Amino acid sequence: MASTLRSSAARRFLAAKPTSAIRLLPQTRVAAFHASQRHQILPPGPQVVHGTVNDPVPVPTPNATHGSYHWAFERIIALGMIPLTVAPFAAGTANPALDAALGTALVLHSHIGFDACVTDYFPKRQYPKTRSFMVWLLRASTITAAVGLFSIQTNDVGLTEGIKKFWRA
Amino acid sequence: MLSTRVLSRSLFRSARPKSTTFFTPRRMLTTESIPASSANSILAAQRLVRPVSPHLTIYQPQLTWYLSMTTRITGVALSGVFYLYAIGYVLASPFGVDMSVSNVSKKWSELNGAVKTVVKAPLAACFSFHFWNGVRHLVWDTGRELTVRGVYRTGYGVLGLTALGTVGLLFV
Repeated sequence: MASTLRSSAARRFLAAKPTSAIRLLPQTRVAAFHASQRHQILPPGPQVVHGTVNDPVPVPTPNATHGSYHWAFERIIALGMIPLTVAPFAAGTANPALDAALGTALVLHSHIGFDACVTDYFPKRQYPKTRSFMVWLLRASTITAAVGLFSIQTNDVGLTEGIKKFWRA
Repeated sequence: MLSTRVLSRSLFRSARPKSTTFFTPRRMLTTESIPASSANSILAAQRLVRPVSPHLTIYQPQLTWYLSMTTRITGVALSGVFYLYAIGYVLASPFGVDMSVSNVSKKWSELNGAVKTVVKAPLAACFSFHFWNGVRHLVWDTGRELTVRGVYRTGYGVLGLTALGTVGLLFV
């Protein structure tokens, strides 16, 4: 009998539309099973079920471009930035070639860093639209920033000299 | 919920006939049929009301993950400043706003010295930290210092170098 009741109650709950299901189960009821209060930092995003619940997690096809090459590329840029950030300021003179190398590395390094944040904070599974918007926003920003930097390098004082000017102003 | 269940159970019991000859059992419950196609939406709705597993706030602040987090925050801050200026440089000129280095740095130089230090000190700290912790990460990438001892030793090293670097950059 109890099982009849329980299953019926469950069925009534399940029959409710998604929005009313949320209202059906207020936070107090969820919290009743937990000793600590419910934390609202990073609340669950929209839940998406692809296929059935028993489908195995898809294994991505191995791709060296997304794996080891990418990893090595990131490290080469990061490693290159150590001398590139120090040398122009230590030498005291602005060398156009060094400036261009630093500028290129800076744009690439920033783009990779921002891209990692987009990948981490806008999961494709839960926020497919926001994710692609952020990816394209970042691409547009990087290109615009690169254009701006190019114009600073060619029409203005250049990156190293510009930073010096601001810092010593 | 429990009280409702107890109540409905007692109601059900009282409604139960002593003998089936005179009474047909009264059903207190109704059922609704749901199409199988709604299974996923029901599951998704149910998952939304699951309690969120505790994270971030339940972990003890430790050098390990605090430095890792700070690397990203400082990197985003530095690149953010760079992007904002470089993008502004492109977008402002059609509107007649002079974003040239000489003009903006002249405006900047007219500010109060204390204000400049308040802006420059965090920037210097961000750069020093990101620089030294970046070096630390590259050391790890070669397979060195990948022990609890190594992580703490290099971590404190980074903090010390960051302090030195920040002060040094402010006096450049």
